[in-house]
Amino acid sequence: MMKNIQNIKFKFLLVLLVGIVFTSCEDTLEDVRENPNTVTTIDDAPLFANAVRSLFGGTLDQGTVRFAGMHAHYYVAGSTSRQPDQYIDGFDGNYNSVLNGTYNGVIRHSEEVLLLTSNEETPNTVRYAMADIINVMGFARITDGFGEIPYTEGGKGKSEDILTPKYDTQQFIYTDLIARLTASINVLKTADPAMAYPDSDPIFDNDLNKWVRFANSFRLRLGMRLRYADNALSQQIVSLSLADPLMEDNSHNAFMIQTEGQGNGWYGNRTGYPSIKMSTFMVGKLENTADPRLAVFVMQDENGNYTGQKNGLNDVAFGQSDFASKSDMGLALSSKESKMYLMTAAEVYFLRAEAALAYDNEPAVANDIYRMAIETSLRQWNVGAAEITNFLASPIGTLTGTTLEQEEQMGTQMWIALTPDYFEGWSHIRRTGYPVIEERTDSDLERGVTNGIMPKRFLYSSFELSSNGTNASEAIARQGANKIDTPIWWDKN
Amino acid sequence: MNKLLLLIVAIGFSISTYAQKSISGKVVDKTTNEPLPGVSITVKGSSKGMAADFDGNFTIQNIDENAVLVFSFIGYKPQEISVTGQTSLNVLLEEDAEALDEVIVTAFDIQRDKASLGYSVQQLKPEEFAVAQENNIMNSLSGKVSGLQITQGNTGVDGSSRILLRGITTIDGSNRPLVVVDGIPVSNGSSSGNPNGGRDGGDALSDINPNDVATVTVLKGAGAAAAYGSRGMHGVILVTTKSGVSKDGIGVTLTSSFTVTEIALTPKLQNEYGMGAFDSFSPIGSDGRPNLDYPSSWSYGPKMEGQPYTNWLGAEDTYSPRGNTYEEFYQDGHSFTNGVSFEGATDHSGFRMSFTNQDTQGIIPNNTLNKNTINFRASSNLTDKLKIDGKVTYIKSKVKNRPELGEGASNTALQLSLMPRDIRLEDAKKNTLDANGNEIKWNLDNTFNNPYWALNNVYNEDSRDLFQSSFSAKLDLTDKFYITGKTGLNYRVSDGTRHAAAGGKANSNGLGNYGTNQSKSSSWNSDILATYTTKFSGFNVTGSVGANYRSDYSKSIGVSGTEEKVPNFYRISNYAIVSDSDSMRKKIVYSYYGLGQISYGGYLYLDATIRNDNSSALPAENDSFWYHSENLSFLFSKFFGLKSNTLSKGKVRASYAKVGNDTSPYRTQSSYNINQARTLDYTVASIPGTLPNPNLRPEVSNSWEIGTELGFFKNRIHLDFTYYETLTEDQIMSVPISGTSAYSNYITNAGSIKNEGFEAQLNLIPLETENFSWDMGLSITKSKSVVESIDESLESITLNSLMQVSIEARPGEEFGTIYGLDYLRDNFGSKLITDAGLAQPGERIKLGSINPDFYGGISNNFKYRNFSLRTLISYQEGGEFFSWGRGYREMFGTDASSLIGRVDGIIEEGINENTGFENTTPVSALQKNYTNNYVSNIRTDLIFDASNIKMKEIVFTYDVPKKALGNSGVQGVSLSAIGRDLFFIHNATGDIDPDASNGSSPTATALEHASLPSTRTYGVNIKINF
Repeated sequence: MMKNIQNIKFKFLLVLLVGIVFTSCEDTLEDVRENPNTVTTIDDAPLFANAVRSLFGGTLDQGTVRFAGMHAHYYVAGSTSRQPDQYIDGFDGNYNSVLNGTYNGVIRHSEEVLLLTSNEETPNTVRYAMADIINVMGFARITDGFGEIPYTEGGKGKSEDILTPKYDTQQFIYTDLIARLTASINVLKTADPAMAYPDSDPIFDNDLNKWVRFANSFRLRLGMRLRYADNALSQQIVSLSLADPLMEDNSHNAFMIQTEGQGNGWYGNRTGYPSIKMSTFMVGKLENTADPRLAVFVMQDENGNYTGQKNGLNDVAFGQSDFASKSDMGLALSSKESKMYLMTAAEVYFLRAEAALAYDNEPAVANDIYRMAIETSLRQWNVGAAEITNFLASPIGTLTGTTLEQEEQMGTQMWIALTPDYFEGWSHIRRTGYPVIEERTDSDLERGVTNGIMPKRFLYSSFELSSNGTNASEAIARQGANKIDTPIWWDKN
Repeated sequence: MNKLLLLIVAIGFSISTYAQKSISGKVVDKTTNEPLPGVSITVKGSSKGMAADFDGNFTIQNIDENAVLVFSFIGYKPQEISVTGQTSLNVLLEEDAEALDEVIVTAFDIQRDKASLGYSVQQLKPEEFAVAQENNIMNSLSGKVSGLQITQGNTGVDGSSRILLRGITTIDGSNRPLVVVDGIPVSNGSSSGNPNGGRDGGDALSDINPNDVATVTVLKGAGAAAAYGSRGMHGVILVTTKSGVSKDGIGVTLTSSFTVTEIALTPKLQNEYGMGAFDSFSPIGSDGRPNLDYPSSWSYGPKMEGQPYTNWLGAEDTYSPRGNTYEEFYQDGHSFTNGVSFEGATDHSGFRMSFTNQDTQGIIPNNTLNKNTINFRASSNLTDKLKIDGKVTYIKSKVKNRPELGEGASNTALQLSLMPRDIRLEDAKKNTLDANGNEIKWNLDNTFNNPYWALNNVYNEDSRDLFQSSFSAKLDLTDKFYITGKTGLNYRVSDGTRHAAAGGKANSNGLGNYGTNQSKSSSWNSDILATYTTKFSGFNVTGSVGANYRSDYSKSIGVSGTEEKVPNFYRISNYAIVSDSDSMRKKIVYSYYGLGQISYGGYLYLDATIRNDNSSALPAENDSFWYHSENLSFLFSKFFGLKSNTLSKGKVRASYAKVGNDTSPYRTQSSYNINQARTLDYTVASIPGTLPNPNLRPEVSNSWEIGTELGFFKNRIHLDFTYYETLTEDQIMSVPISGTSAYSNYITNAGSIKNEGFEAQLNLIPLETENFSWDMGLSITKSKSVVESIDESLESITLNSLMQVSIEARPGEEFGTIYGLDYLRDNFGSKLITDAGLAQPGERIKLGSINPDFYGGISNNFKYRNFSLRTLISYQEGGEFFSWGRGYREMFGTDASSLIGRVDGIIEEGINENTGFENTTPVSALQKNYTNNYVSNIRTDLIFDASNIKMKEIVFTYDVPKKALGNSGVQGVSLSAIGRDLFFIHNATGDIDPDASNGSSPTATALEHASLPSTRTYGVNIKINF
């Protein structure tokens, strides 16, 4: 009897033991395999919105703030952010993040939209065309900074499992970008807005007419970019662009106001770190012509003056330059709610004026469009009508002199009007040579690694050279040494 | 409390009296009949004892009529003899071939005779880890266990430790060994800072209270650890806590220790030149203060000779050196640890409960740690056949102001090391805020704060509550068959809050920030194991089958904000821009396993393990994987019947293991994140930058080891030697890829690492007499990990990087090779110098390796009567590290080495690149240091030798003689004076501590940057038993 009870007790305990140990096993492997923090399927609209917003974000990336803005002599940054202004190149990490930033933002998300809108189940040619425009703009931005870049295979890490994409020549890239824009413009001209992004368009609120103008204006920009590299193609693209609708007034501008986070990034620079002081070059250009945009783009210093900081000072001269007392960037550019621009009607008029002069040999037409460009720019910055009239009536309001002088006048005004798209301003100088950035010869200026010549590109980073070495080396062999003074294909000035 | 103590003491300490007598006799060797001098003789159950004289004779007075004498001698089996009815004794002691062998706790808490194990294992006793009172018990193992490499960076109180067992075998991941406490795996995670900033979030292993630990066993190879499945791939450290069953009655132990921590090593700074550049004062700006931009605010001004000048605040002052800022800023830290434990046992049950409180104050004034641990463990033989054991541990700890590290703006060491040498620290202290409430500092750069502003305005604290509980039962069904079940739950709640006040541009651009985060994690482990044992014709056979279920779950919720609305208020409502986070993770693994052991004749042992894991972290097609291990031990001395005095023990062993490993969850499916947006009327989603891999397979590690244990002269010389090799293939890793793919990483099975090496432990007993003994331990480890291949699309994988120095895994090279730019050189190796006299950056080359050539420790243990002295010296030969701290100090002109060329400039050795003649053009020290270190990023001269010999530990203990304690009720008092990390006997780099890293990742030691000062700790420790 006792023995039996013992046995029963043991069996009971055994069951209890096993039971306790394994009661916690309520889940199967399948139950927990999926990531609960993310979704596995999604409509392409939120990804499109991301790509567009990334493109705007890119206008304030390091490529602009740290490099292009100072190379193009718009401003000088303080502290160690000033170094690129000395034309040196020890910025491996920065170059790497500039290269990767656009690929990982604009390209990654627009590629995904292209994939989702071209599959067999849910094709959408309208959305595809819009995402393609954004994708083109992203690649254009990268190639303008570096020259040759991975393009046909670039950005295909997920869609085609390409982890070490080969590089393409800039000539090929430009030709293809333009062709894709043409295709997208043709789709969007007759598209049904309901098929586009009625609720997810951060730029034009799904106004496809504006999208067509935007894409076509961008095509014009790319076309003019080829002026010195492939003149025939340039002329052909420009005439194609002029036949389609373009941005014609400021309501067509592609801008966005950053409402998330701390707003426009220039706000942080003006109020925080690193300090940005407008350049003597910029202040001088505006002051010399009594440009009403001086008060817009430049803040008064503590004494009520507009004082610029000289670019390129060596360390001794910089120490003596009283940097801290110089003029900040204007409030219209550097407030939280300041607009971020991808492209403006003013730029389009300048491009058209240049085309009229260079391609059509029509100085009078060019002058009319040039005045339209200035007027549009002044309106963009809310300059009053009387001031606009005065400014247009001043000598700068009319193209004068030789063709070359007129080109310089236009080029300089376009550089001013591109503010705050400093990256495009740098590309503009590289393409046209205007405004002229003199070689640095004064003893208080740093000549850097370029012998005092404005840098012409970014470097492929050591990480890119190690993670995609074979392809990058091929590009270097074609393009020229991986240096900041090696001009990229379209840069002939 | 006192009354309770008295009561317990009274219960536990009852003395009965009997008739007294005296007895004498002689102790001889049973086989040779030779007298044995110095045999220890104790009266069982009392403190009475003595040793036999030179001829083996002894006499003991006044012992109880029915006392039992215990005779013990090294190399012999102990013997107990009752004195009842005897007046003289002739004692024959039998030699014990395995006398020095211990009972070792192995996988699943199975206790094994060390001799029977076919793999390398080392077990430590409390005096080796509990006396020196490290916050993290693992730090006490440093230098004491061959094959184990432990380094602790200078990261404040509660900093994490880098722990590697037999080097590095996997490219990704922590490479940290699994830690198992009382059979339940615990979190071995650590959170570390890095050279670019961040804070060291601590080490989960500091949750193990040294005072509660009975033994620590290190299972080094996969052969030993295979039973723990994939998690044992990097070895296992088994921690067994005290259970209380070993003591009769109720015992009370009080421990108390107090230690002081002081600065031991700081960088050597110059005291001749103050703020300015190019030998001039920094120009005074329109605000009346000198220009604070670089390089004007560096220490390249005129020579400091007490001349009048305008100081950094814009005040008239005299220009003079101000002394050692480190010593002025940092204080002596201290730590106070108090513990009480109660333990008791009856015939059937035992328990132990303890409470420990630790209060630590770091060298930074507001950096503190408070930790309370309550531990309860009880076991009982409920019936003859059923035994249960349970444990509950609760730990509550709170750390304040974990220091920011590396390039982080509020890293005080960064600021102190770079601040112009003419700035009075007192001035920085008095002038932290201007009239507008903004920070006053000496530099515009946003990487630097005024150290006192940071101290007053940047804050963080975190607390954790940890519950560890386990329950196990063992049921003997028959004499030969038993079942054990075990389940354990670790549950941790962490809560962290941080803020920085507005006004300091280096912190959220002057807007201020706040964040608070709560996370909880649980890990549930359950095992059931059935074991059958049988004997037949000389064979002992044990076989077990078991199953394990493990579930890891964590959830974290946080909120953070910037743009402070009103000052000095730190709640989320006070911030204009807010974002939050919410995430959870879960992973489960089911396992089935079998263990078997066959032994024959007491000299041949074969162990085998087979295990199958099924993991939710792998894709369904590949989620089940098998592995196995085989271990063989052969006691040849016993087999051949060797009985010589020279070779007292001889054993060879061999082990082979194949271990699989899964990965962290959610790496196999592509997915989309929904972005947090607060102002948009449309949805934004993003794609994670890491490409998942739906075809992931488990990684596989094949390892084998052979070893021997040899004892000579009755084991007074004992050598344990192991050679091992591990090949880890198909490693699961996140490979950094070219950003031009639109992604930053992808998950793949790629690459293999071959890890080989040897480890040896030599124990010596040079002297052993009745009153004095000296034993010595020497350990040496040589471990080499070579990358055999990585993903075919890659030339190398960057494991860690800082200022263009990268730590890489490159096929054909050692894991952890240091790469950086060398000087531009001609074909003969001469530097090519520009016309301006400057060196230029050249090729990116191998500049060093993080791996030491060999390392180990030398321990000495002296005992004289009641005194003992333990010393430990740790050493490392070879291995390099990059010091950006030095590079920065040179550039800022604060480092003593920046004094070179201040007067006449520096002529770089090399040839002019244009003329081909030797360079004769001098450059200023500023220009050279700035250009080489920051613009050209030449790293050749910033790589340093990590070789060092360190006085790691000295512990001096005095056990108060029992007779001195008399009838006080106190059974034992032990007093110790302790010292840790006392000084370098040799440090190849001089003023930089090669261990002074910012974190605990496998490659953390490679990169030094503005580390906090190294410290030494000394103090006292008292332990009282009632």
